[in-house]
Amino acid sequence: MSNPWRWARAASLVFGLLLTSGRCPVFATDTLADVQKRGVLLWGADAEGGAPYVFPDPQKPEQLIGFEYELAQALAVKLGVNARMVQNEWDQLIPGLERGNFDIILNGLELTAENRQRIAMSQPYFVYAQQIVTRSETAGLVRLGDLRGRAVGVLSSTVAQRLLERMGGSDLRIYPGNVESLRDLKAKRIDAVLMDLPIATHYARPDPSLRFSGAPFAPGYYGIGVRKEDVTLLAAINQALLELGQNETLERIYRKYGVWDERQEGLKDYRPETVVQRKPISTLREWPKYLPLLLRGAVVTVELSVLAMVLAVIAGLVIVLMRLYAIAPLRWLARAYVEIIRGTPLLIQLFLIYYGLPEIGIRLNPFLAGIVGLGLNYAASESENYRAGIQSIPRGQTEAAQALGMSRWQTLRHIVLPQALRVVIPPVTNDFIAMFKDSSIVSVITMVELTKVYGMLAMSTYDYIGLGLMTAAIYFALSYPASVFADHLERKLNYDPR
Amino acid sequence: MILVENLVKSYHSTRVLHGVDHAQKSGEAVVLIGPSGCGKSTFLRCLNQLEIADAGRISIGGVTILGGRPPRTTAEKEQQRQLRLRAGMVFQSFNLFPHLTVLDNVATGPRIVKGMTAKDAEARARELLAKVGLENKADAYPGQLSGGQQQRVAIARALAMEPEVMLFDEPTSALDPELREEVLRVMRGLVEEGMTMIVVTHEMQFAREVADRVLFFDAGRIAEQGTPDQVFSNPQQERTREFLRRVPTR
Ligand SMILES: Nc1ncnc2c1ncn2[C@@H]1O[C@H](COP(=O)(O)OP(=O)(O)OP(=O)(O)O)[C@@H](O)[C@H]1O
Ligand SMILES: [Mg+2]
Repeated sequence: MSNPWRWARAASLVFGLLLTSGRCPVFATDTLADVQKRGVLLWGADAEGGAPYVFPDPQKPEQLIGFEYELAQALAVKLGVNARMVQNEWDQLIPGLERGNFDIILNGLELTAENRQRIAMSQPYFVYAQQIVTRSETAGLVRLGDLRGRAVGVLSSTVAQRLLERMGGSDLRIYPGNVESLRDLKAKRIDAVLMDLPIATHYARPDPSLRFSGAPFAPGYYGIGVRKEDVTLLAAINQALLELGQNETLERIYRKYGVWDERQEGLKDYRPETVVQRKPISTLREWPKYLPLLLRGAVVTVELSVLAMVLAVIAGLVIVLMRLYAIAPLRWLARAYVEIIRGTPLLIQLFLIYYGLPEIGIRLNPFLAGIVGLGLNYAASESENYRAGIQSIPRGQTEAAQALGMSRWQTLRHIVLPQALRVVIPPVTNDFIAMFKDSSIVSVITMVELTKVYGMLAMSTYDYIGLGLMTAAIYFALSYPASVFADHLERKLNYDPR
Repeated sequence: MILVENLVKSYHSTRVLHGVDHAQKSGEAVVLIGPSGCGKSTFLRCLNQLEIADAGRISIGGVTILGGRPPRTTAEKEQQRQLRLRAGMVFQSFNLFPHLTVLDNVATGPRIVKGMTAKDAEARARELLAKVGLENKADAYPGQLSGGQQQRVAIARALAMEPEVMLFDEPTSALDPELREEVLRVMRGLVEEGMTMIVVTHEMQFAREVADRVLFFDAGRIAEQGTPDQVFSNPQQERTREFLRRVPTR
């Protein structure tokens, strides 16, 4: 239900929140009147891996389908307007709504006390439950408690994740999408996946190598989210949902997508629990509780960045030596490597390494895949840094060395590389500092590093600003010493008094 | 000692050396003069293999290399290295190694190329620095020296390899006039010791004093040669006379 591009928007999210800061009365006008004047209801959802809720029709990819897609259409008809979906990554739907990117959230948003503290939510339109999915040969994992001590995949910031976190004791792997977790299940990297039943029905049931293990449990409701001040819009939506339930439009839509079950009868019995308005949490004031969690993420970030950089610095040297001094085919190979790596997104490279390589029998754990992915990516950039450094050494240096009878390798080793080293330190340090920040991308292959910890904590405390400041301070505390050290090194290697 | 036969070199399609022949005895100091672009540097660079001649034959101290193509086999590469070891080169722009101290500039070659121990190489380097008058600059970096001092270090660096021939390509041209003399003094010393040398220079006074023989290069050929007196006082060729008119010789 989410999509993997979260990391790219993490920064814009923080700034967006700083600008609109949640509950300020920017949207004091009546949204229902706006919608009707516009003639369009904007609904936020994530169609990336979003089947069977809302997803591109496999036969006609420019057309969206899904039970929520059809529900949105039906809802809009009731309001006398057209519906238009606004794509938004799933775990950022609430901030998106608060920012005013769309009028409602209609995308498997659970009717939980947590959500209802932040935004207003409609009557439920669907009853979901949790389903354990395993490989077909696995036995005995039929209840939540059976997942203790097992590697379990969940979708980021879902009820499934919260259930397992609350229970504790399982090796929790958090995925950006549903397809990825099932892939890893089949690749035997994890033992089970816990997911919402409709998702399991769509993605796992048709696959003979997977099976539903045990009965669905922990039922809950999906509701439509609106901003708290949009009272009239909420009333109109509740009225529309009531009518769609009574004339069996809901049942017709749900049957069409194979997600109708007897549980849906329970929609009528929903009674919202009263929400006690919690005081907003200030993570800065309660820093002793949050800082250690962030620091634990920072340790992963440091380990990952340092090891990846070591790989990059060494592999980069091999690549540049091949590119400048090897025989022609190796030279082309090195050149092609640099061009291809530079010309493709790091994210795609990581996906290929982590999810693609197992298909040819190379199965790396997330940590290793992260190091290899980041390291080989940065190797291309380091080799370019080295190349610039080597080519900045005047020809006369090589000639003088050769005139002394040095071989090509001796010239390189004793004359050219030591001089190039000094030129190369600043750009390599830059890359190292960039690596600290870029390493947050590995959250897409289930690594929990600093930025991911920040995201998870922010999601549960809603204190984006306090946590953001703490996280930024940690990143700064990591990268600043690196740049001081580089300055020092550069000065130490400076043989030129001018 | 040196025997060059029919040396031919072109850059792209322009021919720079048109079949140069040259023979030089051990201990002979030869000065090479001629107008800019006539191929003097190219000739020296071919001698120690910084350029590969298109054709011809170079023989220094018993090591012979044929032009035509760069060395490919290990044996050919070893042959090239042997030739280079016999010819020391001093460049117009010094080309000292800026990341090494003066001492290491001189000691690195013997240590790396000849496999001398660090201790022996350093002792030898100090002797040579004393010889060029720079024993007190051993621990300085090239960037801290004047141009004249740098060029003297460069001479010591070439001498450290114990070459049989020293090749100088305009060693004083990059220097301010007041710094030239200290370099020329070192070179005069070498001549007196009987070092075999080929010096490309515009210092006609120096040529007159020290050269056993002067070669006048023109358009890729040796147009005229003889003792300094013959070439400077009684040139046979019109081109030589024209060149000497434009360059003051005393
Ligand atoms: N690497 C090169 N590529 C192409 N042409 C070159 C190269 N090196 C030298 N030449 C040309 O070859 C000719 C001879 O050059 P060379 O440097 O040997 O002259 P020179 O006699 O040393 O001149 P100068 O007194 O200016 O140093 C010149 O016309 C020059 O432009
Ligand atoms: Mg020249």
